[in-house]
Amino acid sequence: MLLHILNRSPATSEVFRQALAAMGPDDRLLLIEDGVQGAVGALFGRFSGLEGRLYAQEEDLVARGLAPLCAPSVVRVDVEGFVTLTEEAQKTVSWF
Amino acid sequence: MANAKGQGFEGDLLVVLRHGPHGTSWLREGLDAALVAAAFGRRVTLLFMGEGVTALVPGQKSGPLGQKGTSPTLEMLEMYDIDTLLVEAEALAWLGLRAEELMLSATAVEATELSMLASTHSLVLTF
Amino acid sequence: MMRYAILLMGAPYSSQAAHSALRFARAVAARGHRLEGVFFYHDGVHNAARLAAPPQDEPHLVDGWAALAADHGVPLQVCIAAALRRGLLDEREAARHGKQGHSVEPPFELTGLGQLVDLGLRCDRLVTFGP
Repeated sequence: MLLHILNRSPATSEVFRQALAAMGPDDRLLLIEDGVQGAVGALFGRFSGLEGRLYAQEEDLVARGLAPLCAPSVVRVDVEGFVTLTEEAQKTVSWF
Repeated sequence: MANAKGQGFEGDLLVVLRHGPHGTSWLREGLDAALVAAAFGRRVTLLFMGEGVTALVPGQKSGPLGQKGTSPTLEMLEMYDIDTLLVEAEALAWLGLRAEELMLSATAVEATELSMLASTHSLVLTF
Repeated sequence: MMRYAILLMGAPYSSQAAHSALRFARAVAARGHRLEGVFFYHDGVHNAARLAAPPQDEPHLVDGWAALAADHGVPLQVCIAAALRRGLLDEREAARHGKQGHSVEPPFELTGLGQLVDLGLRCDRLVTFGP
């Protein structure tokens, strides 16, 4: 199981498609920085099918005022949770 | 370092190149990392993804200010024993090119193979 | 306890990458892992700019990296080829290129890309932060 890390908003960048293409069936996706916009509203739809494997960095949601809008099925993790995710994955792949 | 999963492409380092030549330094700096790893005896696979496929378009020139571009570097890959060159099939289709038309011999891979590649290499670097 | 490495490729104050990387680095150390190095590549080399002078009410990233090195003994390795092109020279390189003044100082060290490969393959985890 790999952890993919995405820091771009699906509203402005197609990079999320590369991340999704490279993901295996058990891999996890962590949204950080502007990537957390993907946890909100209709943009969340870009990641349908990842339920239970989609994570978002809590501090980045909070800083942007997006925490109350975060889709309920997205697992919110703080920076310590981020480290835990990297521990649990065999390796990480960043998409930016 | 080799892992024997038998999935065809494996190695120490997978370098994912997602940018074309000239526009940014991503491609050049990604290739530099690949060359250094190979010079240290590591087995390197290059994956040209998305826009990165344009790195392999034939007939490239230096830029108008004399910017070197990356095709001379690509021509050195063989000397460094980097011979596993993969291109994302979908990206190739965007350009209307076939793998045989590229400046170097490369194998087209489907998106579904990409996740396999990440797990059959010890280290993945994206540029 | 695991061995970690960080690759940072975003310039400070241009993208959030450096902030994210520094916070992640601190969290890795706080979890009891060994952070074996931070490698600065691409525009990430600007994190080593000794002359950075951000406003006082903003986080000082260059000092932040130096504090990380002091607190946890983390090597801060800057790709020399990427740095020289962008005007980031330590005292030795400045002298070698006949430049007055220098823009990189310890604990940042200019080093070759081979160090990145070595770090990445030696550590249990490498986490990349891009712009």
